[in-house]
Amino acid sequence: MDTGGNFLPIIAALPFVGALIPGVMIRAGRTACATYTFMASALAFILLMLSAPAVFRGEVLQFQLEWLPMLGLNVNFMLDGLGLLFAGLILGIGMLIILYARFYLSREDPMGQFYTYLLLFQGAMVGIVLSDNILLLLVFWELTSLSSFLLIGYWKHLPEGRQGARMALTVTGLGGLAMIAGMLILGSIVGSYDLSVILQHKELIQASPYYLPALILILAGCFTKSAQFPFHFWLPHAMAAPTPVSAYLHSATMVKAGLFLMARMWPVLSGTPEWFYIVATTGLITMVLGAVIALFKDDLKALLAFSTVSHLGLITMLLGFGTEAAAIVAVFHILNHATFKAALFMSAGIVDHETHTRDIKRLGGLRHLMPVTFVIVTIAALSMAGIPPLNGFLSKEMMLEEASHTAWLSNPWILPALATLGALFSVAYSFRLVAHVFLGPKRDDYPAKPHDPAFGMWASPAFLVVLVVLIGLMPNLIAGPLVDITAAAVTGGHPHAHISHWHGLVPAFWMSVAAILGGALFLSLHGALERGWNAAPRPEAKVIFDAITRASTRASHWLTDTLHNGSITRYGAIFAAAITAAGLFAWFESPMSAPTREMLPINAIMAIGWVLLVISTGCIIAFHRNRILSLVLLGVIGLAVSMAFVYFSAPDLALTQISVEVVTIILLLLALNFLPGRTPVESGMPRRLRDAVIAGAAGLAVGGLTYAILLRDFAAESISAYHLANSYKGGGGKNVVNVILVDFRGFDTFGEIIVLGIAALVIYALTKSVLRGPGGRWLLNWGPDDDEAGDRHPLMMVVVTRVIMPIALMVGAYIFLRGHNAPGGGFIAGLIVAIALLMQYMASGFAWAEERQRYHYHAMIAAGVMTAAVTGMGSWLAGRQFLTSSYGYIHIPPIEEFEWATAMAFDTGVFITVVGAVMLALHSLSSMSRRTGEQVNIHPMDVDPGRGAAPADGKEA
Amino acid sequence: MLQADLTIILPEILLSVYAMIALLGAVYTGKDALAPMLTWVTAAVFTLLAIWIGISGEGAQSAFGGMFMDDGFARFAKVTLLLSAAAVLVMSQEYLSRRGLLRFEFPLLIALAVVGMMMMVSAGDLMALYMGLELQSLALYVVAAIRRDSVKSTEAGLKYFVLGALSSGLLLYGASLTYGFAGTTLFSGIVQTATEGHVSLGLLFGLVLIACGLAFKVSAVPFHMWTPDVYEGSPTPVTAFFATAPKVAAMGLFARVLHDAFGGAVGDWQQVIAILSLLSMFLGAIAAIGQTNIKRLMAYSSIAHMGYALMGLAAGTAFGVQALLIYMAIYVTMNVGTFAFILSMERDGQPVTDIKSLNMYSKKEPAKALAVLILMFSLAGVPPLVGFFGKLYVLRAAYEGGLAWLAVAGVVASVIGAFYYLRIVFYMYFGEESDEALDGGKSPILWGFLMASAALMVLGVVNLFGIEGAAAAAAATLVN
Repeated sequence: MDTGGNFLPIIAALPFVGALIPGVMIRAGRTACATYTFMASALAFILLMLSAPAVFRGEVLQFQLEWLPMLGLNVNFMLDGLGLLFAGLILGIGMLIILYARFYLSREDPMGQFYTYLLLFQGAMVGIVLSDNILLLLVFWELTSLSSFLLIGYWKHLPEGRQGARMALTVTGLGGLAMIAGMLILGSIVGSYDLSVILQHKELIQASPYYLPALILILAGCFTKSAQFPFHFWLPHAMAAPTPVSAYLHSATMVKAGLFLMARMWPVLSGTPEWFYIVATTGLITMVLGAVIALFKDDLKALLAFSTVSHLGLITMLLGFGTEAAAIVAVFHILNHATFKAALFMSAGIVDHETHTRDIKRLGGLRHLMPVTFVIVTIAALSMAGIPPLNGFLSKEMMLEEASHTAWLSNPWILPALATLGALFSVAYSFRLVAHVFLGPKRDDYPAKPHDPAFGMWASPAFLVVLVVLIGLMPNLIAGPLVDITAAAVTGGHPHAHISHWHGLVPAFWMSVAAILGGALFLSLHGALERGWNAAPRPEAKVIFDAITRASTRASHWLTDTLHNGSITRYGAIFAAAITAAGLFAWFESPMSAPTREMLPINAIMAIGWVLLVISTGCIIAFHRNRILSLVLLGVIGLAVSMAFVYFSAPDLALTQISVEVVTIILLLLALNFLPGRTPVESGMPRRLRDAVIAGAAGLAVGGLTYAILLRDFAAESISAYHLANSYKGGGGKNVVNVILVDFRGFDTFGEIIVLGIAALVIYALTKSVLRGPGGRWLLNWGPDDDEAGDRHPLMMVVVTRVIMPIALMVGAYIFLRGHNAPGGGFIAGLIVAIALLMQYMASGFAWAEERQRYHYHAMIAAGVMTAAVTGMGSWLAGRQFLTSSYGYIHIPPIEEFEWATAMAFDTGVFITVVGAVMLALHSLSSMSRRTGEQVNIHPMDVDPGRGAAPADGKEA
Repeated sequence: MLQADLTIILPEILLSVYAMIALLGAVYTGKDALAPMLTWVTAAVFTLLAIWIGISGEGAQSAFGGMFMDDGFARFAKVTLLLSAAAVLVMSQEYLSRRGLLRFEFPLLIALAVVGMMMMVSAGDLMALYMGLELQSLALYVVAAIRRDSVKSTEAGLKYFVLGALSSGLLLYGASLTYGFAGTTLFSGIVQTATEGHVSLGLLFGLVLIACGLAFKVSAVPFHMWTPDVYEGSPTPVTAFFATAPKVAAMGLFARVLHDAFGGAVGDWQQVIAILSLLSMFLGAIAAIGQTNIKRLMAYSSIAHMGYALMGLAAGTAFGVQALLIYMAIYVTMNVGTFAFILSMERDGQPVTDIKSLNMYSKKEPAKALAVLILMFSLAGVPPLVGFFGKLYVLRAAYEGGLAWLAVAGVVASVIGAFYYLRIVFYMYFGEESDEALDGGKSPILWGFLMASAALMVLGVVNLFGIEGAAAAAAATLVN
């Protein structure tokens, strides 16, 4: 029947659909549940068999469907010989396992869950072997990790089960992720993620510079999955899983996924020295190592697990040889190993099930108690040992033949010798399995009374053993065609396997004889060898794994503790260093154009100012722990900067800078009252040196950048010319800066005064809430560190500030009025007036001054903003846009002709807002000091000559 | 003209007006008593806006002379961030209420932050960029420190603020340099000046500094330092919010600036972004290994994920932007589910964040444990869950963008990173029995979000719910 590839997606999907069944059917009873689960697998198997004839004719069945085409991810399936072999194994052994598990699992185990996981796993495995798209393959690949994790962890109550599941998933999961990268590289080299396309491009791939990375990454996935050295350690630890799982996952299917992939990629990846040395060497080491360890394991399943590791190594080695003949042997051995090892695992489960122990030391003499099991195990174990005429013998003989004429690093002896050694140990542990468990005297201390199990339980291994014998007797009839088409799929050629029991007296024959004799000898010396083995120190993989885990956790802790210790100075240091590095990158990356501007000459005044600036900055850094001193130095810097503005003919800026400087320094002085006089030293010298280096580098970088930028023209012309031309014409003012503030950019200024007002209100609100909370209580108990000066409100200061007050107000008014045409304006005037008022507060105390205050600062701020807003809206009346200014000239005798601009009203708003905002901030600060219990002075000054003697403490009750 | 402009930014206007009216209304009426209701209403407003934006917009249009862009890219990002913000609000209401942390300002601050974010992803001008960014940041500073009686929370908020202000300053410095040397603040103008090989010193500095400022917002290494502290210190709903919507917005803005304004000079920023991406992936992966606090762990996880998203950006192609958008959408979905679970982690009514408390969780709550397992595998990028496709997209984008080394490094980092996601699963399935196990956690809302998110991770493998096409269209509007 020719169905094309249409059955393929159904075959892949059936187990997944079937996974839903057990959950529902478990209520109908365990047998019904098992039956329906079985049927899902069986149906898939039948469909596979219906597709088989076409494959045997040499066709490759294909099915294609787009999934996420943009990613190159398609649901493409294909079935060739290799896929047929593996799918057949997975589904066939799967059915046997389902049958076996029905009898193996006890009544308490949640069987529905088990079957669901098992079918999920089966579906994922079938998906891997049928995929014709490497991304799809990856998806299924990781699905096996996931479902195997659930299966291994099925018996949650066993602590070693947890450990095993953890290690299995960590190793295979991480390997799988590494493989993603390899696959992506491979797909990108070829330009397609479809396997059938990739397999056509051997030369392209092997010539690519990314061949080696891709190879290593893909092999990392394969080796972890197939438990190859040095990742072999997880497999034995995963043996805590229920035996049906071990039999299915860890002998027949999942661990062979890595082999499958190596075989699948064989046509494009193999044949290079890299491939040979990585794959063949790993396989060889694994084979020998696994066999040696297996001999000394007392746990029945651990022995089988290491023997599995060893046989997987054998197959890997064969694939690594990269020759067609070796590939045939590899394929043949995959088939043989699956049959005898699954049978052995299931038998081990039977022994465990019946005797309640898997410890070989506690077993022996079961020959008469469990005769059926004995027969099954003996045949399977002999096949594993490679005893003729069983199937294990055939493939092992062929393997030795291949090994005997393969040179490693041009040494013809190493490989055959080691291969023989591996075979020798293999014989030894296989014999031991039979001899120590079944032969020998009957014991009377078995944990349970052993007897052969029900037929259902031994049916599956028995069936496999029959296959072992049949393949062994008639290899060319039963396995020959399958091996041929599989090998054809692997190699891409048309190989023909010559399977025969007798090859003549070739080296392989002698190697085989040596192995069997040596193995028997080793078994007889087992007791002595074991003592030696146990005494010898050897690395325990689990300990190493745990140590690596611990070490990486420690390293991670070290990293986080170093980087994220919660200290904001460290964060700041990293920040600054990173920015500097980014800046350096930009500096060296950009094409540096030549400077377009000349540097101005440096004259003496400039130099002095610069030196002053640098010195005071340096002093601040040196003396910043003394707060009042640093405040003074801050003032110096501010004044030096305003001098610079003066020098560059920017009187408005200079005025603003000076007044802002004075106001902020005074407010800071007041705030300083509540702070300790000195900042404590918290960091040591090395830290400060480090910080100095970082800060210095960042500062120099910024300086350098600024210098470089100042020497170059900006992209667009400066806007200054426009302002100069239009300031008088359009805004009616000669002071361009002021016209910009109140006219050109009036909207900005409007926004700014609102922000200023909000800031003052926020300060007020914050102080209020602080005073209500714990902060207020703290202030109540607060006392200054040092004794206060006796004369808090000195006569001289009070008198001078009183005298200055009207003058200062006058200056403010003057500055305000001249603002439109000469340096000045509402903002500066507001600051000057605020300073005048501030002085009164300082001279006579907050309470005294506040009692004489008539207007609320909140109201002042509001009034200022409203004035500005109303002025702006006034222009609507004239049918113009918000804040459009107009001006005219009026003549009021006896004053000169007077310019009257709406901008003036706007500036008034600015003025009032500034005064209100500064005073509100002051008020907020003063309310804090009032909270500390500062007493209210009734008189403006402590010592008043006109009032007679004052109280000695300067305060009155 | 103004009419048309206003129509385009109508969603933003509506949301701002809603936030302000609700704020005033709540101040003068019930205050915190209204908070639960306000939370739900705000979430509803978000959802409605998301639906509206999702179905209404077509084509690309700009408002206010190109300062504000309404195109496929903006709409994709807006829908993602609005929905995730709504989800986080709904999830947080009960948690905050029960612990007395739910102030009426909370949902409104979130609303204001979201307005800022919508502005960010629509920015077509350096001014609009900064305005949106600051609106978002200022709201977030407050939200980070909303638990005022906790030293940790306050400290975290303060650190975030100080560093955030620093980064804003940097960004602004960069923006002014850009303006100075491009002569315009419009992205469409900058892109004409900044062409390959002709990026002047000032412009390049502007670009680098803007990139650094934005890297802070997406918490890319080395500007990530605030993330673990803020994630750990803030109340969990706030952490959940930080991990979702703001990341989408910041990434969106990042993509917009780099492609709209500097799209002609990919070569000049590609390396910077690639390095940020590389460092983020590795630091996130390595530092998370040692964490036992699940919130801190998620902080590092988010750093690593931002590294992957940046990988898409570093590709510098339309496919890269598409990968970025898909990655962010998936990332947000995963995080909503994960945080729904973290919010439900409690013992005796007290929130628990130690991952050791997850020991044998699968026994007690098999369904939730399975959902978390799916989410963790998805976060780790294990096929076939949706998280894998996100990674696949960015890896391919990087590879095809000529950054093969970055793609390989990304895979290595994801291998390292998978370790700690898997560890959570181990604790749940194979941990040791202990007395310090979690209570069930009864909130049906959180349960629903957890399950829905996990279900999306599984069902999404069919066709990613069609976001592939939407993201492709969105990316196409951004990269020409």
